[in-house]
Amino acid sequence: MAIITNLFKKSPFGPIVEHAKKVHECLEMIKPLMEALVYENYELIHELQDKVCKLEYEADVIKHQIREDLPRRFFLPVDREELDGFLECQEKMADYAQDFAVILRIRQTRLHPHVQDKFFALVDQMYQVSGSLLTAAVEIKNLAEASFGGAEARQVLSLIQGLGEEEWKADRLARSLSIDIYKLEGTISTIDIIFYEKMLLKIGAIANEAENAGDFLRAMIVK
Amino acid sequence: MDVFIIIFTGLIGFYMAWNIGANDVANSMADAVGSQSLSVRNAVILAGICEFSGAVLVGSSVTETIRTGIVNPNMIAALPNLREGEAAALLIIGMTAALLCAAFWLHFATWVGMPVSTTHSIVGAVAGFGIVAAGWASVNWNKMSQIVASWFISPLVGGMVAFALFKFIATTILRKEKPAEAAKTYIPPIVFLLVFVVTLATIYKGLNHIIDGLHWLTGTTSFIISVALGLICAIVSKIWISRHLRGKDTLPIAKQLEEVEKIFVPLVIFSSCSVAFAHGANDVANAIGPFAAIAYIIKHGTVEMKVGVPLPILVMGGAGIVIGLATFGHKVMATVGTKITEITPSRGVAADIAASATVLICSRLSLPVSTTHTLVGAIMGIGLARGLGGINRSVTKKIFASWLITVPAAAFLSIIFFLIGRYLFLDNIIDIVLAARG
Repeated sequence: MAIITNLFKKSPFGPIVEHAKKVHECLEMIKPLMEALVYENYELIHELQDKVCKLEYEADVIKHQIREDLPRRFFLPVDREELDGFLECQEKMADYAQDFAVILRIRQTRLHPHVQDKFFALVDQMYQVSGSLLTAAVEIKNLAEASFGGAEARQVLSLIQGLGEEEWKADRLARSLSIDIYKLEGTISTIDIIFYEKMLLKIGAIANEAENAGDFLRAMIVK
Repeated sequence: MDVFIIIFTGLIGFYMAWNIGANDVANSMADAVGSQSLSVRNAVILAGICEFSGAVLVGSSVTETIRTGIVNPNMIAALPNLREGEAAALLIIGMTAALLCAAFWLHFATWVGMPVSTTHSIVGAVAGFGIVAAGWASVNWNKMSQIVASWFISPLVGGMVAFALFKFIATTILRKEKPAEAAKTYIPPIVFLLVFVVTLATIYKGLNHIIDGLHWLTGTTSFIISVALGLICAIVSKIWISRHLRGKDTLPIAKQLEEVEKIFVPLVIFSSCSVAFAHGANDVANAIGPFAAIAYIIKHGTVEMKVGVPLPILVMGGAGIVIGLATFGHKVMATVGTKITEITPSRGVAADIAASATVLICSRLSLPVSTTHTLVGAIMGIGLARGLGGINRSVTKKIFASWLITVPAAAFLSIIFFLIGRYLFLDNIIDIVLAARG
């Protein structure tokens, strides 16, 4: 029997790129959800929520496959803990996108015109963070080809470098949106305010996890 | 009767060669087939050619070691109270026992799924009968310790060389802003190294037993020839690479890396062939070493072996390997091709050069090493250089366990075969030996 065949296991980096893309697909549902909320199209919200759930499940399947394919006896070019942490953060991002859809689904909340713009601005800022992360994450296969160093690594590291600042901007936006939301106290129902706050927290959390995922990615590269 | 012994041991030797061809050759071509650089069919054909030439051109030194290096025939001849011809008869029985035992052990190990090396089996078996036939002193422990040390050293050296080579490829080419530009400068030296090592190992003292009258082919001349051939190939490769990568250095890095990997494709084919060549050179001895000893004694009736390994015996070993490859090895090759697709040509080249250089140097030093284990060491080295996705650590443990168990087990088995053989056939075989002298 050829022992060489027992030596190799499928490289995890191809599936990791797939996973990152799938997580991003979940996030991409957030903007249509917000728009549906503005137009008070609750049927569409229902549909979109189903879609997010499906995407989140698919991302989960990929993640489990990666984990299953890599028992601990395999040594990897990156630190195992960092890799797990990276996947964990991405999974949380997909989870929060799903939570966000559920928040919109469970109650027919109306979005007050005074907070609409900032909400959209926050979502866009969150996309800034998650988008940069995706750009960095899909490079991981090429990074593996270049054995995690040199020009390719510098390119990815510089992408991750920007994540922190973008996330800080998202935080600041979230705070100012929060203030605006509480200004509406008395004008709208308290339940509305609670739901706005829930939505805001989820979006902020996604940006936050994207930054954490970036940190893990950086640690994987510099090892 | 003497014809019967020749045929019987010849068949076992041939069977061993068949086994090597069927099971081990696929490992040597693994990098080329796994990286999809070579189809299974072409890999079988190329491996056949390279194994055969390795066996015939470079196979004699290691065969010598198995034949006379481990158990010193003169020590057996010097035993007190021997009948006339008994020493030669003991050697025949012992070598037959060693061959039989190695064949059995190999079969058993394959059956339980242990990555056993044919080299380790045969060395253990030969040493085993030597101890019983003529005591501890008959085994050349100096040589034995060199051999055993080489089993530890060869995967380690293979690993370190592969680590260094891959680091070189990674830092000078793969990690550059413009990999396609860097490849033009840094792949030719790799070509030089590969061609130089293979050529030197082949022609340095290697061709004399094939072609007579090559006395001008001394160490220095063969060194010069190897350097020259390496330089020529490096220049040709430089021209070829420049042509293929022209204008590619403006592509995105990912695309450039793909193009560079394509440049490594012919190299990984050539370097895998060199592993097959080294494998033939080193492993043919396992099949024909004992047989060469037996055939000599039966022909001449003495244990003093001064001439080298006869060419027809090397050819027989090479042919056995090729037939094993053709009848069964292609299936193993196909499995290897589908199972190790994670390796890319650049990694394959680094692993192959490291493994073939290490094995060829050991062959030149008359040290029988395991080609497969050296290649595994080399691939591990690339894994440590962050070059591969997922490498199974437990394979190392298995290999290590098989080392510890193979030599004692083979020695023990060969002792039993030897004792049985001596009890049953000693008188008959002494007659044969005396007849050969008469």
